[in-house]
Amino acid sequence: MTDAVTPEELAGLMRQNAGIPVEPAQLADHPDTSFEEYGLDSLGLLGIVAALENRHGSPMPQDAEKSRTPREFLDLVNTSLTKSGA
Amino acid sequence: MSTIRAGRSRDPSPGRTRDGGPRRTVVTGIGVIAPNGIGADVFWKSTQEGISVLDRITREGCEGLPLRVGGEVRDLEPDTMVEGRFLVQTDRFTHFAMAAADLALADARLGRADYEDSPFGIGVVTAAGSGGGEFGQRELQALWGKSPRFVGPYQSIAWFYAASTGQVSIRGGFKGPCGVVCSDEAGGLDAFAHAAGAIWRGTDAVVVGSAEAPLAPYSVVCQLGYEDLSTAEDPTRAYRPFTAEARGFVPAEGGAMLVVEEESAALRRGARPRARIAGHAATFTGPSRWEESREGLARAIQGALQDARCAPEEIDVVFADALGVPEADRAEALAITDALGAHGRRVPVTAPKTGIGRAYCGGPVLDVAAAVMAMEHGVVPPTPNVFDICHDIDLVTGKARRAPLRTALVLSRGLMGSNSALVLRSAAPAPSPRNPTRQGENA
Repeated sequence: MTDAVTPEELAGLMRQNAGIPVEPAQLADHPDTSFEEYGLDSLGLLGIVAALENRHGSPMPQDAEKSRTPREFLDLVNTSLTKSGA
Repeated sequence: MSTIRAGRSRDPSPGRTRDGGPRRTVVTGIGVIAPNGIGADVFWKSTQEGISVLDRITREGCEGLPLRVGGEVRDLEPDTMVEGRFLVQTDRFTHFAMAAADLALADARLGRADYEDSPFGIGVVTAAGSGGGEFGQRELQALWGKSPRFVGPYQSIAWFYAASTGQVSIRGGFKGPCGVVCSDEAGGLDAFAHAAGAIWRGTDAVVVGSAEAPLAPYSVVCQLGYEDLSTAEDPTRAYRPFTAEARGFVPAEGGAMLVVEEESAALRRGARPRARIAGHAATFTGPSRWEESREGLARAIQGALQDARCAPEEIDVVFADALGVPEADRAEALAITDALGAHGRRVPVTAPKTGIGRAYCGGPVLDVAAAVMAMEHGVVPPTPNVFDICHDIDLVTGKARRAPLRTALVLSRGLMGSNSALVLRSAAPAPSPRNPTRQGENA
């Protein structure tokens, strides 16, 4: 799916919505490092969920904002986007 | 008796040190973010020289507003002040507070190693008058311009009055008593009373002060309703308290954070006390009732003197509120003589804020910083842009005046009716009759 959220896109969202200076490659290489370790708090993740919902025009799964790692988050979000056929 | 203490105190009773002496509050660090300088030393140099930095307001979106002159903090790139995430997550007033707190902690040489074993021994108290207006404006524009779905979650914490206290506390790991004082502009002085109270009850140190950022479009529009705001065009004539030309006040951004500590704890860790917080009192006389603020301010001064066990004659310098509204200036000049008697007409009075503007709650905190350094240097800084005083006080204008200063009185009033007075004592040893030359020591 071309619409799947990539680690690069997530890194951009972390920077833009929460000011977390994370390199896309770093996120791609370490998808199991927790958001907390990256410096992203729950409000930051909430903002990223809202940004993705605005971007894709469809609601994200409820648990997305509770994800602890980038891998967990991307799996949830991309499964949902695939299902919705976005 | 079982008592839960906020600090690591092993003291026998509240208000007493472990040696049984009184718990006194001293200033050990000063951090300044002001229109006339970043850092306490630069701020003091500009203040002492009486440099005025009042200028046309240049912030984006403010150009067409009828407020022309302000005191902007310009010599500072936000990304040099705080980490990138705070630029996104917090407002400019919090950037200022965090940067000022860093400077104050560095000045106090208070590092993590000093408190990592006792994080509950250090608290944070700020005063706030306008909160995060710039951040709030951006998010409210997203709300009404797009939809609620475009409002960022950090809005929920960034624009509130308590944001700076919270962020400074979290960032530094300060888990002691925290608070935010919302008592109008004079809250900048009340914050010191709260900090001293926490120290009296057993806390070792408090990071205390205020910084404001009210020069963004939404915040400026909020201020346009203040009849006491000066909308003059000429920066040198816009803010001239105590003169026949007084036409209101000029707003400013910035402020200061200080580290205050329990004196014996500070000395034990080798810190250098810069001054002592000796006494405070506050009163309330209602919004824009300037004539009534005479009695309110006089009562606050009397209360602060009593709290400090200080005679009126001991006051060596007064940092005036200096609102720049004729009735308010008259009330303040009379309050000074009401409270200090004949000494009130002789004591040097100054208002360095005429060179930088009034940073709301940050304003009186900048005056506290200036008062500490005035005592250290034995210099009363002048009142920029002000000449031809029309009140019966000895306002220091033109050039700074040298004088031995052991005790300073800082005054503040808010537009909503708060009046506060704070007494500061020099940290230098008290003069003794056997050693009279000490009197001129810091001159």
